[in-house]
Amino acid sequence: MAERKTAKSKYTADRQIPGAFEGETVTRRRFMTGTVHTAGAVATAAIVLPAAGFALGPVFEEKEQPWQPVGKATDFTPDTYLPRTITIEPRIGDVGKSTVFVRRFNPDVDTEPRDQYNEFIAISSACMHLGCPINFVAAAQRFICPCHGGVYDFVGKVAGGPPVRPLDRFYTRVENGTVQIGRRFSVNSELERFSPRDPGEPLDGVGQYMYPSRPSMRKLPGT
Amino acid sequence: MPKLKLPVPPMPGRPAPKRPGKTYGPQTPREHGREAGTSAIGWIDERTSLSGGARWMMFRKVPKGTNWFYTLGSATMFAFLAQAVTGVFLAMYYDPSATGAYDSIRNINNEVFLGEFVHGMHKWGSSVMVILVFLHMGRTFFFGAYKYPRELNWVIGVVLLILTMTMSFTGYLLPFDQRSYWATIVGVNINGTGPFVGPYLSDFLRAGPDFGATTLSRFYAIHMMLVPGAIAALMGFHLYLVAKLGTTAPPWLRAKSPEKLREEKVAR
Amino acid sequence: MNKQQKEQYLREYGILKAEGKPFFPYAVAKDSLMAAIVLVVIIVMSIVLGAELGPKADPTTTTYTPRPEWYFFFLFELLRVIKPPELVPLATIGIPTIGMILLFLLPFYDRGPERRPERRPIATLTGIFVVVAMGYLTYLGASAESPTTISIDPPANVVAQGDKAVATFNSGAQVVAQAGCAACHKLGHSGNDGPGPELTDIGRRLPRQAIERTLINPTAPMPSFAQLQQDAPQQFDEMVTFLAELK
Repeated sequence: MAERKTAKSKYTADRQIPGAFEGETVTRRRFMTGTVHTAGAVATAAIVLPAAGFALGPVFEEKEQPWQPVGKATDFTPDTYLPRTITIEPRIGDVGKSTVFVRRFNPDVDTEPRDQYNEFIAISSACMHLGCPINFVAAAQRFICPCHGGVYDFVGKVAGGPPVRPLDRFYTRVENGTVQIGRRFSVNSELERFSPRDPGEPLDGVGQYMYPSRPSMRKLPGT
Repeated sequence: MPKLKLPVPPMPGRPAPKRPGKTYGPQTPREHGREAGTSAIGWIDERTSLSGGARWMMFRKVPKGTNWFYTLGSATMFAFLAQAVTGVFLAMYYDPSATGAYDSIRNINNEVFLGEFVHGMHKWGSSVMVILVFLHMGRTFFFGAYKYPRELNWVIGVVLLILTMTMSFTGYLLPFDQRSYWATIVGVNINGTGPFVGPYLSDFLRAGPDFGATTLSRFYAIHMMLVPGAIAALMGFHLYLVAKLGTTAPPWLRAKSPEKLREEKVAR
Repeated sequence: MNKQQKEQYLREYGILKAEGKPFFPYAVAKDSLMAAIVLVVIIVMSIVLGAELGPKADPTTTTYTPRPEWYFFFLFELLRVIKPPELVPLATIGIPTIGMILLFLLPFYDRGPERRPERRPIATLTGIFVVVAMGYLTYLGASAESPTTISIDPPANVVAQGDKAVATFNSGAQVVAQAGCAACHKLGHSGNDGPGPELTDIGRRLPRQAIERTLINPTAPMPSFAQLQQDAPQQFDEMVTFLAELK
């Protein structure tokens, strides 16, 4: 084996390439290939990145959730819920509204610590299984979902069926004798507050890490 | 029984040499018309050479024994085309905004000439297409037609099935009645139950954390641009592979061994 | 399929193809006829069934019972029958994803050369099972009622007592439905199976007084209907009568 292959020199001049410069390591072919690939990548990125950003923008935009009045503080009792309509999305008229069930804090049944945001309990009407519209059935003191069999007890904890966490709630406060409703928050089975999640996303155990909170919607800081 | 003569693919033949005492070229208006058509097609073919492809597509042989089950695929494609046509006409009257969608559909149903008919064709056409997709898939499955060498065509078919279901899902938000709205809410939340990415995915689908001002137009864009384009492209590829690999023969059909064929020939 | 089987298949297919007919006009004729049938079916469905538009989307509703289009009924029913909350992601994402992956990879794990359905019993039986299961789930999904309606026929002994008894039975059924009992109890074909016990034949298992006692003084998590008894004694009475007549 006289002509054993030796490792090629990295200098083009050593490889007997015609017209090679002293100290040059990149062949013209390699340079052209690299240029074409780079230009192609830049052109693709110039189309794909803005388009993706355009479509994904709303995912990172925080939504405004102003406080809105739902009635006089004297309207509500601790024993039963009253349905109230609030606006979730002001730009689309009637389809931007939603129903909340409101009552006064009831020390007999409410176990969570009292603070300035839960003098009144406002419960979202979205079932925490997959978001169907629940109703409060006064005779049974239960929230009942018409879709897949979800049932919640008086404070909104799951009493039966597939829902993965208690019903979502809204922050409430009282201004000049009027109850106001703020942003939504989610609760785990101990009724601890979490940033709002979508239905179907459990918050107990590892749930809160498997279904992280989104930049588009947060709970009030410090609560 | 006399054997039926099968048509021979038209091959470019040489015209007979001209003879004196006969008139050549078109004489009657009818012949002129035919001549014009032929030369127009010839003009196009001279510039595109499409006739070779058309001949390859149309005059390929289909194996013996193919039956009505083998029309389900083309029927699905036809249903898709019907959906595309009726969809384009519905888009002329449809208003993809949360405030106007319902009224524009009511306008199509009540005011527009043949509006409810075209709307109905689109609505029921979707059901028909879903049924045909499933029947076509069932045929392919039970006849073992997904096996070598047609594996890739099966995979494309599954993608087409998913795209068809995506079409029916995004399509039924558009009339914006109660059923549409709640089905969309549930569907988006189903997406959201995927661990880690689910919440962001449903934010992306809704264009925000709640059903908002641009949710409907997002679904509309997916329903009438993104997915139909993908379906059309994949359908073309699916069809190309069918033509290239050939339609399967029914699985119970066995080819006669070449010896038998030879014997028959000898006997004849 | 090994190389030899592949070649064998291609050889045999080549012979069958050579014996076949040209795509045009034979297959095209069949395809066009099928296309015409499809179009006629769509047109007839459109004319006969129309394009009915439901009430306008209303996110504030508390009475609407959402139901999907018929071809999603099997998924809808899957979500209904998988009760434990821990298994929800399995029903929503897990089973459909696994199904799709299995479908995707079918030609890669089923590589046998055999194509005749009767000689591939596992594949054929699995296919039939999936079709039947989806059909059954679709049927269940289509017949699922709202938890605030109960459709139950009066039993024979009630019918025998005359129209008045039947009327009491029916209004009792309505009270029970509106009270939301069917959210936790199964009553005949209506209602959810659990967490409460089935009430289809509760009248046979419990005497009237016991039913009344349970309604007023239930074991958790069942709610007490003592309030109802105070506010609307007649409704409460109809409820008890209805339940006691379920035999």
